[in-house]
Amino acid sequence: MDNIHISKAPPLRVVIPFYATGALFFLIFNIMLLISANDLMGHYFSPHLLAIVHTAVLGWGTMVIFGAAYELLPVLCENRLYSDRLAMASYVFLLIGIVQLVPAFWLFRAGSLMIAGGGCVFIAVFFYVINVMLTAGNCQDHSLHQKFLVSSALWLLLTVTLGLCLAINLRYPFMSRNHLDIMKLHAHAGIAGWFLQLITGVSVKLVPMFLVAKATKTRWIKAAWFFQNVGLMGLLIDGHLSNSSGRDILYAAICGTGIICWMYFLNDVRLHRIKKRIDFPMKLTMSSNFFLVAALIMIPVAHYGSQTKWTIAYGILLFIGWISSIIMGQTFKTLPFIIWNEHYNSLTGKADIPLPASLYAEILLKYQNYFYFISMAVLLAGILSAQILMIQVALLMLIVTALLYVANVFKIILHKPLNNHVHR
Amino acid sequence: MYTDEKSHPHQLRQNAIAALKKVIDPELFVNIIDLGLVYEILFNEKSVEVLMTLSTPHCPLGDAIKNGVYNVLSEVFPDREIQVTLVWEPAWNPDMMTGEGRKELFEG
Repeated sequence: MDNIHISKAPPLRVVIPFYATGALFFLIFNIMLLISANDLMGHYFSPHLLAIVHTAVLGWGTMVIFGAAYELLPVLCENRLYSDRLAMASYVFLLIGIVQLVPAFWLFRAGSLMIAGGGCVFIAVFFYVINVMLTAGNCQDHSLHQKFLVSSALWLLLTVTLGLCLAINLRYPFMSRNHLDIMKLHAHAGIAGWFLQLITGVSVKLVPMFLVAKATKTRWIKAAWFFQNVGLMGLLIDGHLSNSSGRDILYAAICGTGIICWMYFLNDVRLHRIKKRIDFPMKLTMSSNFFLVAALIMIPVAHYGSQTKWTIAYGILLFIGWISSIIMGQTFKTLPFIIWNEHYNSLTGKADIPLPASLYAEILLKYQNYFYFISMAVLLAGILSAQILMIQVALLMLIVTALLYVANVFKIILHKPLNNHVHR
Repeated sequence: MYTDEKSHPHQLRQNAIAALKKVIDPELFVNIIDLGLVYEILFNEKSVEVLMTLSTPHCPLGDAIKNGVYNVLSEVFPDREIQVTLVWEPAWNPDMMTGEGRKELFEG
């Protein structure tokens, strides 16, 4: 009877490839950034920056989030993952898609490679969406975080559909609208639809769980879902129909209201938590909100300013700041538990076993965080003051950050139970 | 249906609680007794049944905690069958923690 309520997490082979590949893409995109440091001082529509952004959002962000989502869907939906095979297929198609798409952008070869890459990413996302919908749909209790999961998955599908259309349009022009206008809609469906709503939904469940707090301000989360979706739909529909960016700030403000509601909820959880000590991974996760708020403040500046540096800084705050810090933090709140569960599940209470948190090296995580925050500060200062040397130094430090992260991730993945974990 | 052990029921319960305190929640580092996850321990002549919950249904570590309960009780009561039954009513909330559990979490 109780089996239906115990986690039926997917096997290791389903989730680990996402984490391992995502970590490597984190390192790769930082190396690409260093190679293309000069591009950070120009317009964002450059082949190298397009390649880097897609490596970051697909190879790093989406890759790790897919893996974590497949592990957490049973917890979030209180239901078994609909299909392990679809999950594995989404990994294969996502990887093949990225491997085609990134070189196509880097060399700016509009055509079959770019379209095939976009097509594979679309298929991967389609599989993910089916898995989310059917896992969440089979559940009796449709809670708020499930709403966010479903809406974020649908926004992701729209994002990759627009992306595929853009890839086709570059080779076989068929859109009547300006390519950059559609790209803006594509990017914001991805940021405010996919990443923001997924992160909001997951945090609603996990942050109170990790901090041991009763979540009482759930009305604020309902409001967050409403404002985030209304703001984004307004941007897309109005932007598509009227071809006017005059009301963009209005929609950003509506979406921003949704973000403020979510942050109010998170702050209430933080204030009423029973677990007072916040560990390094959670500190990093919570500090990501700082980058998101900074990016929000940057919107009017980037919108009304004539210099592209503000748009570049906005992108840096979102991709390398907000999304990367959340993923780096949450990696160490999920991956060690997945591996630990595999090795020690049956040994609890029976043998001297390590705790999940001891599967990674805290010292590496500590230095990873130091390098990360310093490199972000130097990078933003370098971009805003147009100092290429500062940008290069910051990107070198980001590579060190990525190396420390990769080392820790593989330390966890390759963990082998020691011989002295024997029966007492 | 269940009857308490006629001989030393209090001692049996104390032994079980002491054993269950060895089962630690791997995320919170607090034992399941002080977390308030164990609702009831029932004894009869041939078995020990633990009625307990998890802090989150479908918790990925649910199996590990359940195995931990089974393992520690099997060691203390080798001649009895151990049953671990998960229940979801009442749902767990932080108010169910003992003072000791709160203190441990509070002090980190």
